[in-house]
Amino acid sequence: MLGAFDYVRARSVEEACRLLAERDDAVILAGGTDLLVEVRNGLREPKLVIDVKAIDELARLDPSDEEWMIGAAVPLNRLAEHRAIRESVPALADAALSIGTYQLRNRATLVGNLCNASPAADAAPVLLTLDAKLSVAGPKDFRTIPIAEFFTGVKRTCLTDGEVVTDIRIPAPPQGLKTVFFKQQRIRGHDLAVVNVAGSYDPTAKTLKVAVGSCAPTPVLLEPTEATGSTAAIAERVVELAEGATSPISDVRASAEYRRAVLPVLLRRLVDRLLSERSGA
Amino acid sequence: MTHEIVLTVNGQTERATVPASMTLLELLREPLHLTGTKEGCGIGECGACTVLLDGAAVTACLVLAVEADGCDVQTIEGEANDGQLSTLQQAFIDAGAAQCGFCTPGMILSARALLDRSPNPTDEEIVEAIAGNLCRCTGYEAIIAAVRRAADRIGGEGSDG
Ligand SMILES: Cc1cc2nc3c(=O)[nH]c(=O)nc-3n(C[C@H](O)[C@H](O)[C@H](O)COP(=O)(O)OP(=O)(O)OC[C@H]3O[C@@H](n4cnc5c(N)ncnc54)[C@H](O)[C@@H]3O)c2cc1C
Ligand code: FES
Ligand code: FES
Repeated sequence: MLGAFDYVRARSVEEACRLLAERDDAVILAGGTDLLVEVRNGLREPKLVIDVKAIDELARLDPSDEEWMIGAAVPLNRLAEHRAIRESVPALADAALSIGTYQLRNRATLVGNLCNASPAADAAPVLLTLDAKLSVAGPKDFRTIPIAEFFTGVKRTCLTDGEVVTDIRIPAPPQGLKTVFFKQQRIRGHDLAVVNVAGSYDPTAKTLKVAVGSCAPTPVLLEPTEATGSTAAIAERVVELAEGATSPISDVRASAEYRRAVLPVLLRRLVDRLLSERSGA
Repeated sequence: MTHEIVLTVNGQTERATVPASMTLLELLREPLHLTGTKEGCGIGECGACTVLLDGAAVTACLVLAVEADGCDVQTIEGEANDGQLSTLQQAFIDAGAAQCGFCTPGMILSARALLDRSPNPTDEEIVEAIAGNLCRCTGYEAIIAAVRRAADRIGGEGSDG
């Protein structure tokens, strides 16, 4: 038994927000793959668990012309198997598929991965490079939070009392956008990242966006770089930006030294892959 | 704090009164006495507790029993038909894919879910499908061979028995 909480299957976003605001120690349950493990390990003792998976509108997965929408109850496997997502933003599918095991991904959600706010969250870097936004419903209002403002610290977000994330929006990827995700782990099987990086390159605007996870209290988006000059020079600029924006620590998965050593290697590889088909380079 | 739930387990309707914090794994093993589903780690790492929830492979240790209210659950006890082993189970025996057997129920359900969505999987797909099921005995090769063999036999027969 996982402690002594009660459970409600919310039928609407309003109900979930109201319960979350009114009741002491209430938490949202999506796939439960972070929450239930934390409860089992005694790290959290909620009194009420509010399941949002039966709210129809949260199950929507809708890549349309202007904006792509991924509902908070969409499991990672469903996201990764979506054809438009695999074809247009393969790094998002790759990041989703790098999370846990097949069974886990039948439950775990993209929104849960972000709300859990682990510095190692595998979905975060790629969504940072895609300018994703979180749609948030509160007891009174709705608001939209750019993902770059969402994480405020280790396991901390800017969500306030009674706020529920309803979905993630991504601007429809521009023609020819290239995306890449790399995850360095201790073993080939499922494991959290030692370092994870993602990048997107828009060949029309010639901009390169890179984000880094597991090297600071939150995943970080580096300042966008203009993709002009040699690939090697661009890679060195990105490495320099990353070194200024991160502060790796030692933990059970790797030492700070190892992270500092592997980060530039991954970034050079990432930039190389993103720019490999660049015309006129 | 307790909830009345109704679910289908291996084709049979089951009713239970469960505390909110009871896992699906606990429900299956204790009140329902379906002890084929194993508990290894209890935190989603090992796959010993794999069952099918509305057809999808999940780890039952990370699902609350109340979350399964209204759902269809299949456990290893539902794999055989009228005492007759399924093709998949027979293939595990023929390939020597079970040693101590602790991982086997979970392995078979992960393989079952794979064959349901992809009847003729590549070895890569088989490996990916069972990557969440840890086995300390076999070294996995025999398990991959068993799933391959089951897929070939089911394909040959045109149906699963
Ligand atoms: C064996 C195992 C392997 C794992 N491997 C990885 C890995 O490789 N990479 C990785 O990044 N993670 C990994 N994880 C962590 C976890 O599976 C992911 O973070 C997952 O995406 C969480 O999603 P969930 O739907 O299960 O979240 P839940 O556990 O349901 O929720 C997580 C947190 O977010 C909050 N929350 C969820 N939805 C909302 C919402 N809509 N609005 C507001 N708050 C919300 C919850 O209250 C909770 O605090 C692993 C976990 C396990 C058990
Ligand atoms: S007991 Fe559920 S995954 Fe190990
Ligand atoms: S047969 Fe012993 S764990 Fe797999």
